Amino acid sequence: MSAEYLRIRNVGVRFGGLQALSDVSFDVARGSVVGLIGPNGSGKTTLMSVIAGALRPSSGSVEFKARSLTGIPTSKVSRLGIARTFQIVAPFANLSVRENVAVGAMFGRRRRTTSAAFASADELLEFVGLARVARKSASDLTIPDRKRLEVAKALALDPEVILLDEVMAGLNAVEVDEALELLHRIHDGGKTLIVVEHLMKAILSISQRVIVLAEGKKIAQGSPQAVIRDPEVIKAYLGVRYAKRQARTASSDRDFPV
Amino acid sequence: MTKHLGVGIGGSSVAMILAVLAMIAVLAVPLLHSSYDENLSRSLLMYAAMSLGWNFIGGYTGYVSFGNVVFFGLGAYVAAVVSARGVPDVFVAIPLAAAVAALFAGLVGLPLLRLRGHYFGIATLAVALAVKELIENVDALGGGSGLAVHQSSVFITYFYAMWLVCAVCLLCTWLIARSKLGYAMVAIRENEEAAAALGIDPTRYKVFAWMISGAMTASAGATFAFANGNIDPATVFGIDYNIFPIAMVILGGIGTVAGPLLGAFLLTAFNEVLWGHFPALHNLFFGLAIVLIVFFVPRGVMSLFGLHGGRRGFIRYFQAYRV
Repeated sequence: MSAEYLRIRNVGVRFGGLQALSDVSFDVARGSVVGLIGPNGSGKTTLMSVIAGALRPSSGSVEFKARSLTGIPTSKVSRLGIARTFQIVAPFANLSVRENVAVGAMFGRRRRTTSAAFASADELLEFVGLARVARKSASDLTIPDRKRLEVAKALALDPEVILLDEVMAGLNAVEVDEALELLHRIHDGGKTLIVVEHLMKAILSISQRVIVLAEGKKIAQGSPQAVIRDPEVIKAYLGVRYAKRQARTASSDRDFPV
Repeated sequence: MTKHLGVGIGGSSVAMILAVLAMIAVLAVPLLHSSYDENLSRSLLMYAAMSLGWNFIGGYTGYVSFGNVVFFGLGAYVAAVVSARGVPDVFVAIPLAAAVAALFAGLVGLPLLRLRGHYFGIATLAVALAVKELIENVDALGGGSGLAVHQSSVFITYFYAMWLVCAVCLLCTWLIARSKLGYAMVAIRENEEAAAALGIDPTRYKVFAWMISGAMTASAGATFAFANGNIDPATVFGIDYNIFPIAMVILGGIGTVAGPLLGAFLLTAFNEVLWGHFPALHNLFFGLAIVLIVFFVPRGVMSLFGLHGGRRGFIRYFQAYRV
């Protein structure tokens, strides 16, 4: 089914003596949403960097549309249609919000002229809800707005796949709902998403499939409902209390859509 | 479509108007028929061109080069060699010097621009010293005693040539700052990793920036060689030509269009006044002035015109490549 779209094949990453990832494989189907969860230090961001081309895997490969991405630099991977957001938000502080997004539109998949890039940036800022702060300096944004800016910059590349690295971390409940609504709209627009998030509510709400990493290894994958009942996932990440609470709410009232 | 001057690109239009007015005013200097004023103005223009050149790599791209004097020296030597080969024409020498410097910047930049921050700065300094040593030991280039430059034009030609070099540098800066290249350079300065994630190939654009930087600096060097009549390694690879443009860009406004030119004009004029009043101690006062500038107008005179950066812009600027 997904075999020819995005395949992560036996990816291993070693930093000196530390095996950050070992033998991680999974496929991502076009137009799907894959959640990537796991404890801190389990290698989620490392895996995102490998897929984005920022980090060359020590072993294994990433294939996008039957083409190996190994050895292809980030700038080219992003032009091939894989965009990423940074966990530690990385705006161009001395540029305006609008310029930040326009830069992505200039150098992304459709290499636009500056004026076309600014027109496209204006549309995107409208779409993510940042039009009101378009002329502000990116460094003056609030945390939720900075997260939105990260998403807008990624979208500016006209990507097929977006890697979202903890775009909801540090947001309050209302802001999380708003962010989820934005991700749903992006997905509805036909994008494939890989979402790294600690917030289980968000992961369960948006993902069709969840991959669980622990200590650099894939310990489980499957539907969100199956994964949260997996004893190994409970042991390594979710904790017994979470599992009990889920079991209770699931028997009375499901708090996530299927 | 012209309305996309944000906080980061270009800077104040007031400063730009000032810079253009200053350029027009300088063009009137020959009317004074004073060789002192002509020489001083040529010096203003030369430093302005070098500052505009340094600004591309150090200001827009955020890679602080301590070796741009290498381009000045190379440009001067290209001019001397060209003039000795029977083409004593400054307007032939300038494009040739620019081309040689751009080529050199491209070749050296490919490995050097993989270094970041201080490491890049140290490596550029080493390159400048190495090229100076090399030329000092090549007999065909006159070794340590240098070369004479054959002048064939009336002397005022070199003043106009320097004016033209400076004007072209200013125009190029104005055009490039608003272009995709300008945005690529600024994005790299602000966050190289994020720039790469947005489809910008950092190495490519950094090398471009340094090539432009080198071409501008070498054009000034070639014109200097003709006006000076002779050149030697100690002069054209000298510390003044290396450091002054950096101080001038910082004074004027780092990463802005008009700032480097204004900074160069102000600092050259200031230095001249100091020379006049304190022949022995002028360097002491000059150094003190630079320290005071960095403390009190860290974002340069452009910050006095508002429209640039922001209060903590300078701090951010240095954080951008501290990684």
